[in-house]
Amino acid sequence: MDEDSGYDSDDALLELDGVTKYFGQDSGLLAGLEFEPDQFPPVNVNRETVKAVDDVSLEIQPGETLGLVGESGCGKSTLGRTILRLLEPTDGDIYFKGENLADLGGEELRRMRSDMQMIFQDPQSSLDPRMKVGQIIEEPMRAHDMLDDEGRRARAKELLEKVGLDPRHYNRHPHAFSGGQRQRINLARALSVDPDFVVCDEPVSALDVSIQAQVLNTMESLQEEFGLTYLFIAHDLSVIRHISDRVAVMYLGHIVELAEKEELFENPQHPYTRALLDSIPVPDPRENGVRGVLEGEVPSPVDPPSGCRFRTRCPRLIAPDAYDWSEEKWAQTRAFMRAVKRRSFEPMPAARIEAEFFDGDRPGGEAGSIVDEAIELVASDGSAGGNDDDETDRWVTATDLLLESFAEQSICAHERPAYDLESEHGNGDHFAACHLHR
Amino acid sequence: MSSEPLLRVENLKTQFFTEEGTVRAVDGISFEVREGEIVGLVGESGAGKSVASMSIMGLVESPGEIVGGEITYKGETLFGLEEGPDGDLQERDDMLSSEEIRTRIRGNEIAVIFQDPMESLNPVFTVGGQLREFIELNRGLSEDEARAEAIDMLREVGIPDPEERYDEYPHQFSGGMRQRVLIAMALACEPSLIIADEPTTALDVTVEGQILDLVDDLQEKYGTSFIWVTHDLGVVAEICDRVNVMYLGEIVEKATVDDLFYDTKHPYTNALLNSIPRPDRTVTELEAIEGVMPEAISPPSGCRFHPRCPDAREVCKRAHPDVKVVADGDGEPHQAACVKHDAFDAGYDQSPSLEGVAVDAGPAAAQEPESELTANPAGDDSGGENRE
Repeated sequence: MDEDSGYDSDDALLELDGVTKYFGQDSGLLAGLEFEPDQFPPVNVNRETVKAVDDVSLEIQPGETLGLVGESGCGKSTLGRTILRLLEPTDGDIYFKGENLADLGGEELRRMRSDMQMIFQDPQSSLDPRMKVGQIIEEPMRAHDMLDDEGRRARAKELLEKVGLDPRHYNRHPHAFSGGQRQRINLARALSVDPDFVVCDEPVSALDVSIQAQVLNTMESLQEEFGLTYLFIAHDLSVIRHISDRVAVMYLGHIVELAEKEELFENPQHPYTRALLDSIPVPDPRENGVRGVLEGEVPSPVDPPSGCRFRTRCPRLIAPDAYDWSEEKWAQTRAFMRAVKRRSFEPMPAARIEAEFFDGDRPGGEAGSIVDEAIELVASDGSAGGNDDDETDRWVTATDLLLESFAEQSICAHERPAYDLESEHGNGDHFAACHLHR
Repeated sequence: MSSEPLLRVENLKTQFFTEEGTVRAVDGISFEVREGEIVGLVGESGAGKSVASMSIMGLVESPGEIVGGEITYKGETLFGLEEGPDGDLQERDDMLSSEEIRTRIRGNEIAVIFQDPMESLNPVFTVGGQLREFIELNRGLSEDEARAEAIDMLREVGIPDPEERYDEYPHQFSGGMRQRVLIAMALACEPSLIIADEPTTALDVTVEGQILDLVDDLQEKYGTSFIWVTHDLGVVAEICDRVNVMYLGEIVEKATVDDLFYDTKHPYTNALLNSIPRPDRTVTELEAIEGVMPEAISPPSGCRFHPRCPDAREVCKRAHPDVKVVADGDGEPHQAACVKHDAFDAGYDQSPSLEGVAVDAGPAAAQEPESELTANPAGDDSGGENRE
């Protein structure tokens, strides 16, 4: 189908260049309107955007599986949908077989879609309950005018067998199948138009473990047989490790690390990737890993942190250059700063705060005096202590003081990191968005 | 094992009477929970683990019913049957009334944490208000005392800025925070036993790690026992002391967590362990378990796992094994329900292999998952993860 497109199979099958997707929160007539009694007119039109995917660039080679992993809300599904142009990208270019999808009009795009298919997470809701399995699988072929009735029927039956179902189930309805079998029907439907590229959005996460393995194995053998290229989106690192050739880790709309599978899992270079890997419960009782290494939660994508988006939770936030301190003192100050920000400790006397966070020894110099000031603000025996009314204000002042003096001064807050590293395993590229590698 | 366990479940049977027939969701399981330990109840969806834990709380609803067995908690009978004068089974006299279970046991002695924190919290009341009311009712404190206690509990489970967040509504909390609130609620009356039904399944891994850490800390502090219901063997390895593996309404293996992973005795547990992808090493080929779990409405004859079992032989179609001690794992008996072990003496070694004839293995073979909607009417988890 694509012989005339001038696409050379040595090139990347899919190339993303600065792909960005923002969602406006302005759907609906009165959305985003806020009442502001202090001004005239007393309304404020709030045009906030959710920065779901922000400036993502990557390549996918023909025949490979690129794993895309991240926590919920990090933008991985949005990226998958944007690639297929089920969502219009806000910015950036998507090249499929060398052609810019943004340049394609309706009919051309529609034809291109027969080369790009998608499998969804929920096997119940992605199949029309009123259609028979045969019809479901034939529908994409009909939409793309492939084959005649007889040919489509034969192909549907062949595909049913290929995905591990009985071709005699051609006339059954989806409800007669279990979750794993329904996901196989989804596979057959996606493959019916002979695509080159399939976006798999959490295809096995709704399935039981024993069924998960069956479906993963089928997906792998189909990839081999039909020469498919997968973008495999999942939150489960074990599944990603099993199926991927290369892995991209996403956090809050950015790709933070991208490397070959073995390299990424054995030699992770981004603190977020490390935290993710440390958090997975390992099915081995003799493995006593650290857990819960990350504090807090993913910030809102409406107003993501500047520079490195992970910096607000990063256990290795880089010390600001303005002050002179040891690694240990900075670690203590960082912990204190976050504890104040989250108000995660009860008000206590200054001496106890000092003992608890700084081993009784505050940092010296200019940094020390800022820390002193903050302790003074939140301590129960501080100058303003005992007065409950402005307690919240004092905590906020202390938080602002600490964040502005320290966190905002770090290189992590100023520049968006992007570094290419040497791989230790294999010879692929290793991209890590962390200033520790500057 | 000299002292009486905290909770003893014996030969528990819970059935659902549906139009299609009787679903034997829990079919004669026995296990115990001792003080201060975390006991895992592991299995795939439809194995009956949620129904089993709800049976302990007396929360099985029609058309479901506990039809047999005995549940003893701290020497008191939560459920028990005896033969009445007319030959029918009737509830025993020493069984606690539902009134007593409601006021004295639930919340105060045994608490539950469910999978979906959004469904367990009332969306129209503030988080703090719900927690306060719960403490007020169960512990008889005044409103102000209960409020102070509620704020303390919220801080205890790691909710930042608890005074402020006390007045917020559930939708203003993230999934992990809501689960923390539920843990606070479960702990509020310092129960001796908490039943946690897939409490971390809907959460992201980093949040799951935080919650598991929290449970570890709290368990150390309060010495609470847990029944941890999950399908995730990773979580089991992290947190459980002893494990019961369930398949199709039955417990097929009971062991300490170390024995379960390193000296696996039941082919199902083994198959489960081999079928999961590993985060800590690259597995090139996953050994999937063939077929799907049959329906509890018409379980296969003999050993219920035999149609999918790689070790199945002719005898497995006939002999129905109950769990027996098959090994002595450091003073803690290791039990399994598989006739291939000598303890069963069922002639497994002489029995011909089932290779190739697995297709005609009973009415519920893998090809016919016709009415899976009825397989688990109690609404067990879908075996799934969070959906975006």
